[in-house]
Amino acid sequence: MKKFLLIYLFPILLFASSYYGLTTYEDEERFNNLIKEIRCPKCTSGSLASSNAPVSEDLKFKIAELINEKKSDEEIKAFVSQRYGNQSLYDPGLSNETYILWFAPFIFLLIASIVFIMRSKR
Amino acid sequence: MKNIFKLIIIVVPATFFIFFYFYLSEDKTYPGLQTDEFAFPNFYLETLDDEKVFLNEQDLPSTGLLNVWASWCITCLVEHPFLMNLKEKDIKIIGLNYKDERFDAQNWLNKYGDPYSEVLYDPKGSLALDLGVTGAPETFLIHNGKIIAHYSGEINERVWAETFLPIINKNNIKNL
Amino acid sequence: MLINLSHYMSILSGASFLLCACLSFLFIKQADASKSLIKNIFSNSCYLLFISFGTYVYLAISDDFSVEYIANHSNSNLPMFYKISSIWSAHEGSMFVWILFLAIWGYFFNLHKPSNDQIKMTSIGIISLILFGFMVFLLLTSSPFTEILPLAPENGADINPVLQDPALAMHPPTLYLGYVGFVIPFAYSISFLIHEEYSYSWERAIRSWSVIAWSFLTIGIALGSWWAYYELGWGGYWFWDPVENVALMPWLAATAFIHSLKVSADTRAHRSWTILLALLVFSLSLFGAFIVRSGIIDSVHSFANDPERGLYLLAFCSIIVLSSLFIYANKYEKLLSKKSTLLSKQSYISINNILFITLIFSTMLGVLYPLIFEYLYNEKISVGAPFYNSIYIPITIIAAVFLVFSIEINWNGYLSKIKFLHPLSFSIIFAFVITIYLYQEFEIKNILLLISLFVGYLIIIRYLFVLFMSKYINIASFCAHFGLGVLIIAISLNSLLSSERVLNLNINETKAYKGINITLEQIKVLNGSNYDSIKGFLKVNDGANQYMLEPEKRRYFVRGQITTETDIKVTPIKDIYVTLGDQLDDGSWIVNIQLNYFIRYIWASMIMMALASLFIISNTRRQS
Repeated sequence: MKKFLLIYLFPILLFASSYYGLTTYEDEERFNNLIKEIRCPKCTSGSLASSNAPVSEDLKFKIAELINEKKSDEEIKAFVSQRYGNQSLYDPGLSNETYILWFAPFIFLLIASIVFIMRSKR
Repeated sequence: MKNIFKLIIIVVPATFFIFFYFYLSEDKTYPGLQTDEFAFPNFYLETLDDEKVFLNEQDLPSTGLLNVWASWCITCLVEHPFLMNLKEKDIKIIGLNYKDERFDAQNWLNKYGDPYSEVLYDPKGSLALDLGVTGAPETFLIHNGKIIAHYSGEINERVWAETFLPIINKNNIKNL
Repeated sequence: MLINLSHYMSILSGASFLLCACLSFLFIKQADASKSLIKNIFSNSCYLLFISFGTYVYLAISDDFSVEYIANHSNSNLPMFYKISSIWSAHEGSMFVWILFLAIWGYFFNLHKPSNDQIKMTSIGIISLILFGFMVFLLLTSSPFTEILPLAPENGADINPVLQDPALAMHPPTLYLGYVGFVIPFAYSISFLIHEEYSYSWERAIRSWSVIAWSFLTIGIALGSWWAYYELGWGGYWFWDPVENVALMPWLAATAFIHSLKVSADTRAHRSWTILLALLVFSLSLFGAFIVRSGIIDSVHSFANDPERGLYLLAFCSIIVLSSLFIYANKYEKLLSKKSTLLSKQSYISINNILFITLIFSTMLGVLYPLIFEYLYNEKISVGAPFYNSIYIPITIIAAVFLVFSIEINWNGYLSKIKFLHPLSFSIIFAFVITIYLYQEFEIKNILLLISLFVGYLIIIRYLFVLFMSKYINIASFCAHFGLGVLIIAISLNSLLSSERVLNLNINETKAYKGINITLEQIKVLNGSNYDSIKGFLKVNDGANQYMLEPEKRRYFVRGQITTETDIKVTPIKDIYVTLGDQLDDGSWIVNIQLNYFIRYIWASMIMMALASLFIISNTRRQS
């Protein structure tokens, strides 16, 4: 019995209990990355990571809970944006309206490079 | 080619400036109002009056108001008379007691008056999280089991007339 | 009453600037005759402004709370340094400082030995006109001179305790000095176009001024980043907040500008591009001022919203920008510019300019997109780090590669054939080896991160070869670009290695985190001069050393505001960063511990880049 407990609980014990209830280093890293990408719903600007507001703390606990339930990053982000709106995600995602946002810089660079090369060849 | 360039460097900044002009002069609608529609989330909470009685989303009226409040919330006190006013007009308001102590909440209602037909006790804020609540007071308009308006902030005569009434009329809601 | 004196002096100086501008345009072709007149009127206008500001500072120091702005932002209990810095803590006062700095730059430029009288005098006229416009804006919409009558309050409001910090107090002035300094190349280049004396090298004349302004801007941004790190309690150093971006854009334009300036100064190529960049930098500075002060964007930085101010500022900035572009469009073709071949250093600088302008375009897009989106679709979105990282990282990598290759080339073409046994090949090999080592040691999965590390090391190794093996070395170039390499590596390693955890500890309890043992020894309640606080004493043991960290939570009396004071242990490669949170119901205390690797190197590299300018200035002196 002791052996059983040691083998299965040992990894959890090694990971000193985190306040949000996360249990592995990978989960913790996922958590830290997620809270940087999600906007604090109440603050004028800032991520969950940078906010101590009560609703931010609640969301952080909920996110940790979802991570423990093995939900994926996309599912967690969808959870948050369903309740707090699309503006709660710092990554606006790729949709018909945001194609121009993601691709315009590269198109700009392409056009500028072409113009530059053409002018130099003259 | 050169003429295109000249045109671009004048027209592009000018377009920006014109855009900003329109943006700045636009009349902003109430910033606290959100009108995305979504189905009322599932929940299972105790009522404030009786901890043995639980309610879930099916116990809610399909049309009505939900008001998020707490005894620690000063603005809720400011809003309270207007809610009593709505109660007198036979408008059903469900209360959502947010992150509060049962004792404090009950005392508050006894002291100031109870505009609610029912109050849900949500000390952890779990239903509030699912509703997208960020603080108190906030008020939701429910119609046919869906939330059709979410207002963050104090409601009063003016807010009611300028934000809720237009939506109520647009959806032809009669039995609020 | 002194406030009235200050107010009156400001009005007078505004009128005087207008006079100066009119005179300079009236006598535009007779610079010799009018030179001393215009020069003196400008100096006197500046003196009036200096007296006005000096009086205002005196009022702030002597606690004159009949002045509304001082009453709202200062307090008799503040140390003198913070009474002064409270002047620029909000919109009206900081606008006043903005104008003051414009005048200071103009004042020194005015007095400095000019090169060409006509161009110089007209540029002073342009600067005067801009000063006049801003003065009107200040006096009509944002006056710091309003009084509280008849009874002044006994004491002022306490300024936000978060603002009572030396780094934060110095951050706006340093930034403004940077932004505003670019009025000099702006005005001078327009004046140059107006006078059409195209054989004159305005580029040489303006070089030191531009480089000094660029350094201030660099240091100002570094100060802001450093302050945010230790003060705000979440350990980040850059947030892609709209107002940060709006400071970054002029910096990018300024960097492109000073590179292009060198090309035009030394080889007379690209002159029209250099002028366009000069106009762009100041336009972006103005745009920045507009965005922050009009309330158009939500940001923790932005001053109070006021659409009326926003509209005036918009009108004013549009006039300046559009008229400058109009003059440019009409005149630039006649500029005598030498063509450069494709394979020359000039081309590399052109490529650099294209990359930087792409970054500026992308940043502008990111900042404005939420506004445009909301206007078109009535829906809100946020654009943050994921977007900016996806653009900045690839472009920085490309720029770094071109930078390294540009060392092999000079104005006329390649310096020597690149043989196999060439510093460049060795640099590539060494950088590759280091990158592979890091890849294996840290199991790096992110390809872009790996490539960033590779190019960062490539830059610093190649420049070390330059330092130790080249006959002639351009110290400024070495300093600035080596600094850039360090910046790239520091940012990459910081993002790779840093980590954090929130834990709760009871008194005398120890928990372990990544090989470090943290013990909460005790919690004390303390009283400071205008706050009381709860201080945690944390013993941190990382195997080799033991440190005591003392983070605090403070509650300030006057506003009841609560702030977290972090405590940081700086070690050569990492910062151990702790903040104290609330006490839980079970009596334990929340502690947030972060390990931030190489973060000091980020700011050190920015300082190194800024210092490079000292070498440019001394070089320029020797040349003339």
